[in-house]
Amino acid sequence: MIAPHVAQQTWLHRIGAGTKLLALAVVSILLGWMSEWVPLLIAFVVILGVYIVTIPSAGTRLKLYRPLLPLLVGIGLLQIYASGWEIALATLLRLVAMMALADLVTATTPMLDMMDALQPVFRLLRPLGLDERRLSLAVALMLRFIPVIMSEWGKREEAWRARTGRRPPLRLLAPFLSDVLRLADHASEALTARGFDMARSDRVDRGTR
Amino acid sequence: MTIAVKDVTLARNGRTVLHQLNLNMDERRIGLVGVNGAGKSSLLRLLNGLLLPDQGQVTVHGLDTQASRAQLPGSVGFIFQNPEHQIVFPTSLEEIAFGLRERGLDAKAATAVARDFLTRHNCADWCERSVAELSDGQKQHLCILAVLVCEPALIVLDEPFSSLDLRARNMFLRLLASLPQQIVMASHDLDAMRDFDRLIWLDDGRVAGDGTPENVLRAYRAHCDAQAAP
Repeated sequence: MIAPHVAQQTWLHRIGAGTKLLALAVVSILLGWMSEWVPLLIAFVVILGVYIVTIPSAGTRLKLYRPLLPLLVGIGLLQIYASGWEIALATLLRLVAMMALADLVTATTPMLDMMDALQPVFRLLRPLGLDERRLSLAVALMLRFIPVIMSEWGKREEAWRARTGRRPPLRLLAPFLSDVLRLADHASEALTARGFDMARSDRVDRGTR
Repeated sequence: MTIAVKDVTLARNGRTVLHQLNLNMDERRIGLVGVNGAGKSSLLRLLNGLLLPDQGQVTVHGLDTQASRAQLPGSVGFIFQNPEHQIVFPTSLEEIAFGLRERGLDAKAATAVARDFLTRHNCADWCERSVAELSDGQKQHLCILAVLVCEPALIVLDEPFSSLDLRARNMFLRLLASLPQQIVMASHDLDAMRDFDRLIWLDDGRVAGDGTPENVLRAYRAHCDAQAAP
């Protein structure tokens, strides 16, 4: 979820988080089964139509996905080289349709509802020693911090351009990742301060000990 | 005694940041000043158990921070420097409800209490709004509301004004002044603590000044001027 949560109530807001996640899973599996570009194009147009009708200012919101364009172009070129244009087109249509569907769900579902819906699924991972509360919060945090992280990258990019007038090089990734790790540390500290998992937390800092 | 820091020594990253500190804090509004690295943030983090002392003991409103660490978030609310780092949820309503759910309320009750709470604080229109749409001042306001909804006895603030413009800073100060809770705040905004009951000046992990804001600020300003002189 690159774009923020949609506050304005839509018909999708009224559907339960579990139902939407289930529908997302089923439709994604169906899209995965389709291999021809023609039915995928039809599915893509239908999903895009639902997206535009449901999400207010859908055009503005879609523009926020521009940073993904180079990735999609790269995947498309690779597929054309490896398997031909028809497979490349089918792959891209499938990917974009799935992304639009996922965005429809995250944009219209309160995060707490999403966490509640995901917890029974994550409970299956208990035998592996994983805690469903922590996992569902991790999903919420990931969705919440994507725009923050993108904004941080934007600031670094701007600072680089201001000093050099050029596009930022790849080596800017190292300090950026360091910033992201620091952000994760701050967020974790804030959660601890609010009592999340305090009783079970093993994150007790004693200075350097 | 509401806050008692007894013989506390704390080291972080191989450096001793607090040296056998002794403080009793009963006043309602207490400010912490000092240059960067003086130990202000470390002292604040000791008050809600984010850090535990290497030596000594910290007691906050009857709770030993070491023995009662799990209970501390219910009594001590913490406001960090950057609201962007502490807001976890995409909407204000969920952000407020999260703290309530951590304290055992079910989803429906937590959402209802959160909605009512935002309405009582004249922020009803924030309920469904995306946090990303709020200004920095509103985000900091949301952070303090998320703390207040859990009804802590003590609110600890670490540089809360650094990302706020003057208007937002003044509004935030007014909100702080209206709160009945005990407040301990570290800030470089010296004017913001002018009317506090007590000011503590930390220097290299030790108390360099302690008393009324007027006296402590005069000494602290003189010290900084002397240090900055060529």
